[in-house]
Amino acid sequence: MLTLYWCLPADCRNVTAGRSMISITHLQFAYSGGQFSLQIPELHVAAHASSVIVGPSGSGKTTLLHLIAGILPVTDGEIVVGETNVHRLNDAERRLFRLRNIGLVFQDFQLIDYLNVLENVLLPCRIHPSVQLTAEFTDRARSLLNSVGLQSLQTRSVTRLSQGERQRVAICRALLLSPGIILADEPTGNLDPFNAEKIVELLLSDATRSGASLLMVTHDHSLLPRFDQVIPFEPFLKTVASADSTAGAGR
Amino acid sequence: MKHALFLAWHAILWHRARSFIVVLSLAITIWLPATVHLMLNEFRREISERSHATPLIVGARGSRIDLVLHALYFKGVPPAEITMAEVQQLTESGLGIAVPLHSRYQTPAVAGQDGVPIVGTSPEYMEFRRLTIQSGEMLSMLGDCIVGARVAQVMQLAPGDTLFSAPRNAFNLAGDYPLRMSVTGILAPSHSPDDDVVFTDIRTTWVIDGIGHGHQSLTSQTDPALLLGSNDSSALIANAGVLPYTEITEDNIDSFHFHGEPNTFPLTAIIVVPADEKSRVRILGRYASSEMSAQCLKPPEVVEELLTLVFRVEQLVWLCSLAAGLVTLLLLILVLTLSMRLRAEEMQTMFRLGCSRSTIALLQGSEILLSLLLAGTLASAATGLTVWLGGDVLSMLLF
Repeated sequence: MLTLYWCLPADCRNVTAGRSMISITHLQFAYSGGQFSLQIPELHVAAHASSVIVGPSGSGKTTLLHLIAGILPVTDGEIVVGETNVHRLNDAERRLFRLRNIGLVFQDFQLIDYLNVLENVLLPCRIHPSVQLTAEFTDRARSLLNSVGLQSLQTRSVTRLSQGERQRVAICRALLLSPGIILADEPTGNLDPFNAEKIVELLLSDATRSGASLLMVTHDHSLLPRFDQVIPFEPFLKTVASADSTAGAGR
Repeated sequence: MKHALFLAWHAILWHRARSFIVVLSLAITIWLPATVHLMLNEFRREISERSHATPLIVGARGSRIDLVLHALYFKGVPPAEITMAEVQQLTESGLGIAVPLHSRYQTPAVAGQDGVPIVGTSPEYMEFRRLTIQSGEMLSMLGDCIVGARVAQVMQLAPGDTLFSAPRNAFNLAGDYPLRMSVTGILAPSHSPDDDVVFTDIRTTWVIDGIGHGHQSLTSQTDPALLLGSNDSSALIANAGVLPYTEITEDNIDSFHFHGEPNTFPLTAIIVVPADEKSRVRILGRYASSEMSAQCLKPPEVVEELLTLVFRVEQLVWLCSLAAGLVTLLLLILVLTLSMRLRAEEMQTMFRLGCSRSTIALLQGSEILLSLLLAGTLASAATGLTVWLGGDVLSMLLF
């Protein structure tokens, strides 16, 4: 069984001294019937800052983002986003919390093919009865699209966009409801270096402008200098390997 | 709800091929039984209305349904005939009005279209059915005809045109010749079987039947080659070289004559309008005897028998539709299940963004609802169109 032991890296400890946007304590998670589990004793992500989790593929980074967003339920421990303990909310409350407070950017964009660019950005206003689609949101969507250079493509089908354009639409969608935190799951994974750089710049500038906290997952080390806080993943993998060999010797 | 409908509508448009198949399947499932039901209802209403408007029918003994359908719809020809003597007797009895019908001939088939029945009757028929002339005028002489509104439209006939009768048997050299009739009037539409026939005087149909004819005057001096001899009553006997006239004009009408006693001339049916209830009972009683060669029928009763058969057909259609509907439903469930699987990622995205459970259910439900609405609209339009265009198809199929 593969177990990842998360602890607070030395270069992240200073975050605990300031205000945290995300606080994780004694987190335990395992997929039912799976060979994967995740344990994070403590982790803090700074508020109004850009943070990046860096590590190899398949190590549980996406799972962590899904746990923070309340998409997956924790087995044990606490995840506090802002002042909300996400996993003490019921399912309906978690969905609404996610919609209103967290902007999600996915690696594979996850745009809706049958909606055009503008309608994809406006999607969060159409999927929950508590969020109403108003003229202000439509104006904001147009404004976001203008800011990423897609003003002329608002009525175009998203299937006719380039990868970079699709990712920009996904970012606009994540920013529409002005979330306090943006979770970006390897948003540059499918992009060439030039477009990857542009997307990271876009995320950082929008997060800064809106005062949101940005937590991004990546395995691209060249992007790390752009972030305020880097949470490396490799030390935990070594711990895992060591734990596995110890367990093997014990047996 | 409006957002769910918005998203569902865009999804339907995006997956248009799949949506088209789903909507079409649903529409056909709805259309078939709905159309059959409406057409049968219309047929039931029409046939009941006409049968109730026709008090009694007299005709040769045989199939009751055949006789009634012939008298009401001019469909088919009864295997046996009655004679003009029946009309004579009914009229003389003073029990009611006897309207003779003789319809054994049709117009020729043209351009793949079947000919239409030529119905010989008396002026009382027009009065009885409240038929009026839309253009032209009523029959004025032997050889004239008036045509029903639909016949005029289909055959593009107008007053002044001519119309041929079609011989029933091409090898009957001594019998019926095609008669060229002059169209004197077009009937106003009555939305009944009267729109689909050609009316003429009963004597004209006897001419078509070969009972009456006209030909050149023969004398032993002028036509020796055509004469075979003469009999005791000084009548001349001619050979087959003397051809009858095929058109009745003012010039040759005087030469037209009938051979035989008028009381023996054939009729296919008689519509009898009794003077009162008592007369009606007396007429029915008169024909109740098994010794009578003719029978008298109450059309509503016979039509009810026919409708029992139609009802059985309808039940069969309903049963088939139910089975087809069940198959369609199962296929739709399969299609929707596969569709849900294909769109699982989309739903997952909605969920990850924070979509409520109710919205996800609404999204899926809205798509089904919209598909049903589209199918219902399509089926309604198709049903309306079918009933409108094919109103006569069912009666043609049934008879």
